Amino acid sequence: MSNPYEVLGVSPNASDEEIKKAYRELAKKYHPDNYADSPLADVAEQKMKEVNEAYDEINRMRQKGKGTGSTSNTAGAGGSTYYSNGSNSQFYSVRIYIQRNMIQEAERILDSTPEGNRTAEWYYLKGMCAFRKGWNDQANSYFTTACNMDPNNGEYRAALNNMNSQQHFNYGGYNTGNVNNTGGMGCSCCDICSAIMCADCLCNCARGC
Amino acid sequence: MFGYLQVRKSELLVREWEAYKAVYCGLCKQMGKDYSFLTRLSLSYDCTFYAMLLLSLEKACPGFEKGRCRFNPLKKCQFARCDSDCYSKAAAFSVISAYYKLKDDLQDSGFWKRLAVRLVLPFFSRWHKKAARRYPQLETLVADMMTAQNLAEQNSETGVDAAAHPTANMLGSVLSLEAHDELQRRVYYEFGYHIGRWIYLIDAADDLEKDEKNRNFNPFLRVKAADMQAYQTQVLNQSLARAYDAYQLITLIDFKGILDNMMVYGFPSKQNAVVYHRQEEEDVKSV
Repeated sequence: MSNPYEVLGVSPNASDEEIKKAYRELAKKYHPDNYADSPLADVAEQKMKEVNEAYDEINRMRQKGKGTGSTSNTAGAGGSTYYSNGSNSQFYSVRIYIQRNMIQEAERILDSTPEGNRTAEWYYLKGMCAFRKGWNDQANSYFTTACNMDPNNGEYRAALNNMNSQQHFNYGGYNTGNVNNTGGMGCSCCDICSAIMCADCLCNCARGC
Repeated sequence: MFGYLQVRKSELLVREWEAYKAVYCGLCKQMGKDYSFLTRLSLSYDCTFYAMLLLSLEKACPGFEKGRCRFNPLKKCQFARCDSDCYSKAAAFSVISAYYKLKDDLQDSGFWKRLAVRLVLPFFSRWHKKAARRYPQLETLVADMMTAQNLAEQNSETGVDAAAHPTANMLGSVLSLEAHDELQRRVYYEFGYHIGRWIYLIDAADDLEKDEKNRNFNPFLRVKAADMQAYQTQVLNQSLARAYDAYQLITLIDFKGILDNMMVYGFPSKQNAVVYHRQEEEDVKSV
């Protein structure tokens, strides 16, 4: 394993507080919620694991004995819940393909589905394929159709909400303030849209961080 | 490429701004060395971004050196040094893109512009050959992009996604050339894909009125949205948001402050300026 201090981006002389802060920022940055539906979810999960291990390692090395140690059962949970609710669906294999990033195979099955069998789930999965490819516009209309056909389904709704929040910048760390170790970049009090509109507010805020 | 990948100067530290200029000047110098001083005219902010990203990924910038501007010998400037072929690669990418852009202009521009393009094209085609010989992978990717783009524009069913795909795919593939393993390759591809998509779409938003008048292809002309500006903002926001997600997974140290600035401030403010036809704030007007 590489140097745990490097993983957290802190110097070996950093105080416990600084380490905790760095850890929290990274944990927020790689949080599975930020990568819901993303083709890079597994990469983020991997990074999260490294950060957790590094943090645990540092705590072990410093042997504080205050019980600040293990993180493994708090952060990082939730990464495995994706697709768990589709195991008995008729499109089970499609879900597996999507999960493995084999989008062409998934689309082939979906496209060969006769018109009559195109349920809300079909539209949802079509949307997911489009989303994985980066075809956001199509994904948006498929997700919308899926939600209209089955308004009570939480899975479809979550995908559509994810689209909406990306379209409004509240997603992707624009308002999480996790870049402020690079010199006044962070801005946790306002999201980037309004931040740009009122540059004054933003300047003051960024300096304050 | 078209010059949308800018920094927001007001949010940069002074030393970061100096470093940004030094990369720009370093790249300009390399273009003069590899090709001709004329190719420097094709140097864009987009290629500066590419060069800076390469320098950062390869940790190839050992420091800065003082010198004089190659255009104006009275002006002193700094050059960011480079241990590797980052500048050459970015210069080649710039020349190759400029060449195909000119060839494209030859097909769908007015009489006077076509005349001007005919005049400079022979020069560019010589430099292009040289660049293509040195970086055949870049050449293939850009050439394929142009072919795919023309096909997409001829298809009457091409929507926003399909129209943006060739550029997005090209930039994704160009960046994944830098990857050392499969995980990195996927992250770089995703990052490049969404940045490329954003560049294509913001250019389309910029040209919408012109294309409507000249009856040229523009993906937004086929969109039926009640509020076109809101629609464009949503589509562009989402590309930036997804690019930012991938960006977060790339480990960067050198120039991180500058690249962060571009992702968080530079691109969104450029986007707002284009979509809402706003005057840009005092910005990178003169490097």
